[in-house]
Amino acid sequence: MFTNKSIDSIWIQLMLLTLLSAFIAETADTGLAVIIIVAVTIGYKGRMIVDHFMELIHANRYIRASMRLYFYVIPLMIVLAYLFPEAIVRMTTLQ
Amino acid sequence: MDAAITADSDQLGRDTSPQTLSTQSHVPGGWPIWVGIFSEMTEFAMMFIIYFIAKAHYPELFNDGPTKLNTLAGVLNTLVLLTSSYCVAKSMQAIRRDDTTACVRWLWLAIIAGGTYLLIKTWEYHWNETMGISKDTNTFFTVYYYTTFNHMLHVGWGSAAVLWAIFGVKRGSFTAQSHGGLEAVAVYWHMIDLAWIVIFPLLYVLR
Repeated sequence: MFTNKSIDSIWIQLMLLTLLSAFIAETADTGLAVIIIVAVTIGYKGRMIVDHFMELIHANRYIRASMRLYFYVIPLMIVLAYLFPEAIVRMTTLQ
Repeated sequence: MDAAITADSDQLGRDTSPQTLSTQSHVPGGWPIWVGIFSEMTEFAMMFIIYFIAKAHYPELFNDGPTKLNTLAGVLNTLVLLTSSYCVAKSMQAIRRDDTTACVRWLWLAIIAGGTYLLIKTWEYHWNETMGISKDTNTFFTVYYYTTFNHMLHVGWGSAAVLWAIFGVKRGSFTAQSHGGLEAVAVYWHMIDLAWIVIFPLLYVLR
């Protein structure tokens, strides 16, 4: 069920995705495309660790759902914060 | 009879044998550690919300801030933490085979990775200082120091927990049939890695 091969390949994927992020950090100007790539990368890396390193893929459904949800919500917040900064300023400014 | 024993043990979060792991009700490490993990994840979520709010108010500082940070240190720390998580996951596979020697070896590698993270982070803070960066430089660096120092503390006591697990394995406290305590340390360590997976792009990549 939890084979060495899957853990090994997931570790390599995570390392490669980190290097991709580093490449983006050093070369690309932030635009919506970069924001989406970064958000998806966070979501994917989180999901892999939650499912395979924490082994929640076969564990209690409520814990698994909560942890997976975290890595949907945070990437979504990154995109929304980029798209609607004025709304955040309005909501967090005392009148 | 066997089924009843498995069910009772499973509720206590103690029996972590492969048969129990295959059930959808298994709670890795037991419920108490998950109370801690959810508390910590909430704490980090609050820091991320503070980041989003501060970035919306001071976009220039948050666009400029990451360019002044040592990206190499951030990348190396991400690679090191991912590797430490991998080592902990391998240690769990080893204990399930009752291979305590391999389990201890993987846990030591995880601690070495944790120690490497702490060394790199210390070097990064020193590098910042030589570049004239401190927590008072501007709002971006206040958020950066608060978030990364908090995370660094988690790596410190997480490493201590892994060390405790090593002694537990050596004492024979954890076996293929019963290793709930080791599993609790493992999922906590992975949580520390998860937090960094968000911190790294927020502070070092996004501009």
